[in-house]
Amino acid sequence: MITLVIGGAASGKSEFAESLVLNAGELPRYYIATMQPFDGECKTRIQRHRAMRKEKKFTTIECFVDLKRVLLPLKGVVLLECMSNLVANELYSPQGAGTDAADAIKEGIEQLHRQCEHLIVVSNEVFTGGCSYEGDTLHYLKVLAQVNRMVAQQANNVYEVVYGMPICHKGEENTL
Amino acid sequence: MILIIGPLYSGKKTYAKELMNWTDDQLAQYAVWDVQDLAAAHTNLEQLAEKLSENKVVIATEIGGGIVPIDPQQRHAREAAGRLTCLLAQKATTVIRVFCGIPTVLKGEVTL
Repeated sequence: MITLVIGGAASGKSEFAESLVLNAGELPRYYIATMQPFDGECKTRIQRHRAMRKEKKFTTIECFVDLKRVLLPLKGVVLLECMSNLVANELYSPQGAGTDAADAIKEGIEQLHRQCEHLIVVSNEVFTGGCSYEGDTLHYLKVLAQVNRMVAQQANNVYEVVYGMPICHKGEENTL
Repeated sequence: MILIIGPLYSGKKTYAKELMNWTDDQLAQYAVWDVQDLAAAHTNLEQLAEKLSENKVVIATEIGGGIVPIDPQQRHAREAAGRLTCLLAQKATTVIRVFCGIPTVLKGEVTL
């Protein structure tokens, strides 16, 4: 099963996604972290998320690029956070897939899905702030949107989180 | 008129073609998109909305989220785009919002 959780900055999407993992029961829990600790702000953010996951028995796997190489020892629940970072890493980091970013992520998602019971993907809603973008920003938005639509299509459930409240766009609301 | 709205690159045109069973050529003939960009240049939005409503399908990108632009022209354009889309929604028999390629009917009915 695949669930896509999407929301704006500080919308409560992570807390909601984590609640889905907890509700899945006593399965092994993996957290795939995609944010590279570039600076103090990233590190603070990572610390905040680590504190949120403490006591929830997650095994954290860092994956900044090349999702398809992630190997999970046991079949469980996987929380991938956040797609917006993974897309940026694939597009712009030296180890990234570059122009093949969307395909690389698609393949990675398929590989992960095969290795788990439930894959929960968290992504960012950054598409209602205007449309006068250029260059790298425009390209990034196009690729992230393409990946979001691809995951939404594959997903059994799609939720948009607004200030902690989930709106179900696809699938069963009673999975909560 | 059917109004299709949604965030940038959410799959609005693809959905319009699917809904109406149209080819790219038919879409170009019977639909109009990026109407949010037309608003700023018009003083009479009611008239513009009326004119646009002659199309079978009107597609607008939601651009009202995010920070209010510091540039007065951009601020005006965004404001006008929002007002225009409200007028279009009033005139539309059906309003559909496409999010990540998934349609939600906000007004009227769609028989798929």
